[in-house]
Amino acid sequence: MPDLYGEAMRFLTALALIWTTAAAGALAATGQPIDGALGFQPAVTPIMERVNDFHNILLWIIIPITLFVMGLLLWVMIRYNRKANPNPSKNSHNTLLEVVWTAVPVLILVVISVFSFPLLYFQDEIPEADFTIKATGYQWYWGYEYPDHEVDEYVSNMIADEDLEEGQLRNLSVDLPVVVPVGATVRLQVTAADVIHNWAMPAFGTKMDAIPGRINEAWFRVDEAGTYYGQCSELCGIRHAFMPIEVHAVPRDVFDAWIAAKAEDPYSDAANAIIAEYSAARDTRLAQLD
Amino acid sequence: MSADAATHDDHTPSMWDWRRWVLSTNHKDIGTMYLVFAIFAGIIGGALSGMMRLELMEPGLQFFTGDETFWGSVFGNEHNYNVATTMHGLIMIFFMVMPAMIGGFGNWFVPLMIGAPDMAFPRMNNISFWLLPASFVLALMSMFVPGAGGDMGFGGGWVLYPPLATSGHNGPAMDLLILSLHIAGISSILGAINFITTIFNMRAPGMTLHKMPLFVWSVLVTVFLLLLSMPVLAGALTMLLTDRNFGTAFFDPAGGGDPVMYQHLFWFFGHPEVYILILPGFGIISHIVSTFSKKPVFGYLGMAYAMVAIGFIGFIVWAHHMYTVGMPVDLKAYFIAATMVIAVPTGIKIFSWIATMWGGSIEFRTPMMWAIGFIFLFTVGGVTGVVLANAGVDQSLHDTYYVVAHFHYVLSLGAVFAIFAGWYYWFEKIFGVKYNSILARLQFLFFFVGANVIFFPQHFLGLQGMPRRYVDYPDGFAFWNEISTYGYFIMLVGMVLFFLVLIDAMIRRRKADANPWGEGATTLEWTLSSPPPFHQFNELPKIK
Amino acid sequence: MAGHAVKHDYHLVDPSPWPFVGSVGAFLLAVGAVGNMKGLVGADHPLAWAYGDGSWGGLLIGFAVILYTMFGWWGDVIKESRRGDHTPVVDLHLRYGMIMFIASEVMFFVAWFWVFFEYALFPEVRLDPALATFPPAGVETFDPWHIPLMNTLILLLSGTTVTWAHHALQHGDRRGATLGLIFTVVLGVCFTALQVYEYSEAHFAFSMADGGNLYGSAFFMATGFHGAHVVIGTIFLAVCLLRLLAGQFTPEKHFGLEAAAWYWHFVDVVWLFLFAFVYVTFG
Ligand code: HEA
Ligand code: HEA
Ligand code: CUA
Ligand SMILES: [Cu+2]
Repeated sequence: MPDLYGEAMRFLTALALIWTTAAAGALAATGQPIDGALGFQPAVTPIMERVNDFHNILLWIIIPITLFVMGLLLWVMIRYNRKANPNPSKNSHNTLLEVVWTAVPVLILVVISVFSFPLLYFQDEIPEADFTIKATGYQWYWGYEYPDHEVDEYVSNMIADEDLEEGQLRNLSVDLPVVVPVGATVRLQVTAADVIHNWAMPAFGTKMDAIPGRINEAWFRVDEAGTYYGQCSELCGIRHAFMPIEVHAVPRDVFDAWIAAKAEDPYSDAANAIIAEYSAARDTRLAQLD
Repeated sequence: MSADAATHDDHTPSMWDWRRWVLSTNHKDIGTMYLVFAIFAGIIGGALSGMMRLELMEPGLQFFTGDETFWGSVFGNEHNYNVATTMHGLIMIFFMVMPAMIGGFGNWFVPLMIGAPDMAFPRMNNISFWLLPASFVLALMSMFVPGAGGDMGFGGGWVLYPPLATSGHNGPAMDLLILSLHIAGISSILGAINFITTIFNMRAPGMTLHKMPLFVWSVLVTVFLLLLSMPVLAGALTMLLTDRNFGTAFFDPAGGGDPVMYQHLFWFFGHPEVYILILPGFGIISHIVSTFSKKPVFGYLGMAYAMVAIGFIGFIVWAHHMYTVGMPVDLKAYFIAATMVIAVPTGIKIFSWIATMWGGSIEFRTPMMWAIGFIFLFTVGGVTGVVLANAGVDQSLHDTYYVVAHFHYVLSLGAVFAIFAGWYYWFEKIFGVKYNSILARLQFLFFFVGANVIFFPQHFLGLQGMPRRYVDYPDGFAFWNEISTYGYFIMLVGMVLFFLVLIDAMIRRRKADANPWGEGATTLEWTLSSPPPFHQFNELPKIK
Repeated sequence: MAGHAVKHDYHLVDPSPWPFVGSVGAFLLAVGAVGNMKGLVGADHPLAWAYGDGSWGGLLIGFAVILYTMFGWWGDVIKESRRGDHTPVVDLHLRYGMIMFIASEVMFFVAWFWVFFEYALFPEVRLDPALATFPPAGVETFDPWHIPLMNTLILLLSGTTVTWAHHALQHGDRRGATLGLIFTVVLGVCFTALQVYEYSEAHFAFSMADGGNLYGSAFFMATGFHGAHVVIGTIFLAVCLLRLLAGQFTPEKHFGLEAAAWYWHFVDVVWLFLFAFVYVTFG
């Protein structure tokens, strides 16, 4: 028997959490799903910001439409039920009305398009990039290369439940993350070695199919330092749910140190240490802020 | 129009005579078999969805553990979760909704509504039906033979994307599934030929196309979509089969093939398919709304041609399922525009239904409640479809639970509500007995609440980024998943009520009226007894 | 059978075993095919002869049941037709049915052409440079102006002979009709024979196991399905020939022959597309 009171309390807590995080923009909350949240994860790239804005516009269109239909239904149910209106009219035509409910949706769609197409082209046209990352999907992990920095492919695996350490997230944290400098424009190339996977990062608004025999391109620019999590988003077999993506956006100098170590050895422990050190320092700083 | 022209020399064969069913050439008997089949498949498909919802109730693996525990041995492992998802999707679409709407209601009421004694090809009608159990058994068999590695069944999603459906599943499970769908496809194509011929050639004297009941219109458009889209699926499936077994390279990059090519072929079928699932529902709803508002359908011609438009545009929007495969941006722009256009004819339908009710004298009988529920919930599912149509946001929402929420609103709360609406609208006509409308309305209540509780929260999960086809998810998705599973339990009560209504009606056997709905019910089936004579319209009715 | 009070011309068909038997056949054929391709039982299972890997037993059983159904079913149709059940309106049904069937067949070929065009028109998306042209490097295609041209002429000629047969029959000229049909069937057989010969001469493989690539796949499956349709059409015409000789067609009523002719024209047109694009344009 579900504990209804506890359930209700959790519901309210969750709602409260959503509002406070939305208001405070707390850093710790970005880049990962928040329990009970209602909307997108906070945006940290220009693309996702625009996705978010556009989606808000869409909500302002679809919710009123739905409420309008609901209102009409309620109205006819109240006003034209058998008791309220014993004698039905026989009218079945009204040309003006029909023209209106054809024309108005057309106009609404035109309005949507006006916002939709610029977003589409903004996402799709890759600006001058600072460097390239190549992600390759495998059953069931990701491999990453930084061809411009001559970092050979390293493999990124999910941390198994039993190996999780303090601060790591179940089904989201990986052993060797992707690292990018804050503010850099990154060209992402995705492909796959066996079946189709998908490199998806909700906070970036990035989602690109990794298809064997093809190379797909996307781009992102992370404007806020932090750790961001994503997940494979194309069914790829038994461990589809267990090949997450972790991206660290770090200051330029941290990135430079990291990438130098990686170029030596893609599995360099020193590189891991650089990121670990930086994250720890950041977490303490954040803790002090609180 | 004389209903009693039915003669007494052709006795209705006994219910218990197996030959009546197995050898049938009677559209009503075949329709009944389709309905029974659909209910059976609905139970299996619903049970599979229950397995998924149970697993997803909490983060972590509880049921599909693959270990020696009770649940692990019954449910299997993570692969079997994928199998459950795949089979749930396929069963609900191919073996529940399509047989119920087209095979069941279509068979029963297309001939009755156009004043025909039967279908054009009564014997072919029966093979359309009997191919389905053959196909269904193959699909079920596939769950119990090796699929990927040592695991049983095909777990690559109902869309069967290669390479997961080719090199990713080396066992015979996938081959069985391919041939199962081939056979289901043949069944549909034969059915489509039958309906088209029936509707074009067997309308009663005086029934022009523009006087034809909207349900018949909806079936006409639907079967055209079937006729033209199914063969393309058959081609794609055949390519999968030869890629798997005969070394062709259609979808294998090693030989120059391209997995994306399959997706184009599949969705060229798949998108029309979703309208195949909903259009007959549109037809059913039109009749119910008109009957219980005691008014003729508002804007009849607009309603008919809106469906034609939906069917037509349905063929040129398929790649909105593929916004993330790396299509050229201009192509995406085209598909955005084309997809959104469908909102216009669909809006015409929604508003015409409301206009039909406007000024009416509405009775809230059981079918009407389902119909009103349909109109609202379909709108919810439709507007999220318009959100998804915009590649810009779909980039964020593709393959998340937002999509799952969208299509369950149009399917599980759209198509299924339309089926139940039709079921309670025609129940007495089909079975000749009355049902307990209080229980039936209770069922509606539980379904309405339950289904919304299941699927509305899935929008939030999708927006937060929860991917589809996940047996386990990060803890940040726990809350809404738990709520969603509670919704399933509520809906389950509705399912129990559904069977109670059925059992109650069969036990009490209260004789049905020819027309239980009164003046609002104007189509020809209500001029016949309930159930209608074994062969109706031995003398064709004349339409003014 | 509907009784004497029936006042319409529709044909209410008697209960029939064929749909059920045919479905069982389809099921058996499918299981047999999977057994053959993948093996559903182990090599020492008692049913290995039918459903073991590489076995043909199950497949043949299914095929036999389907053949039996076809004989039985279409035999019944012919009987009913001769009994007079095919009134003008029923005849019209059959025409609609055949046209719709051919329409669905057209869509089936759309799938194969679509693949072919996609791979022929957009070779540059392929990462492997050896495959990034069309036809891919190393594929030696057929010269369209040899066997394919001959086949085109054969099919075009057969299209005229079948029309000749039809017109002759309409004018009561049974001898002309018989001759026309015989010619058509012979031409159909010639086409198939040449096609088989051409396949045996191919300088590219069908299967990747034999070094093939997408060209072989697209070529053999498209032309192969066409070839299968030619064989079916030839059989259809041959059956019509037998029925003609048995005196089952009259100048007024001979829909079986017309349906066969329509089907044949459809096969013909598909070939013209294959010839124009697969052989000539992208050959
Ligand atoms: C019954 C089935 C059905 C129906 C009717 C629809 C209807 C629509 N669908 Fe849906 N769809 C599916 C079943 C269906 N869909 C399924 C099964 C999938 C997932 C497949 C898979 O991947 O497994 C899917 C996925 C899907 C996607 C891909 C998402 C993704 O994978 O990323 C998209 C994108 O464009 C989409 C769009 C639409 C649109 C625009 C409509 C429109 O037809 C909706 C039109 C209706 C309305 C808009 C409401 C009423 C109109 C008004 C009240 C007028 C005013 C409105 C406006 C001006 C907006 N659908
Ligand atoms: C018509 C289609 C249909 C219907 C009705 C449903 C009904 C339900 N579906 Fe599903 N679903 C799909 C089509 C459908 N679904 C598809 C296509 C997918 C995608 C598969 C994939 O990813 O490959 C999917 C995936 C899917 C998922 C996502 C799985 C994942 O991605 O991991 C989930 C999770 O909650 C889910 C849940 C449910 C639930 C709880 C119901 C409940 O509503 C079930 C309750 C049962 C019923 C409502 C049936 C009742 C009907 C009858 C008994 C027949 C009555 C007949 C007559 C009266 C004649 N479904
Ligand atoms: Cu990789 Cu899903
Ligand atoms: Cu679609």
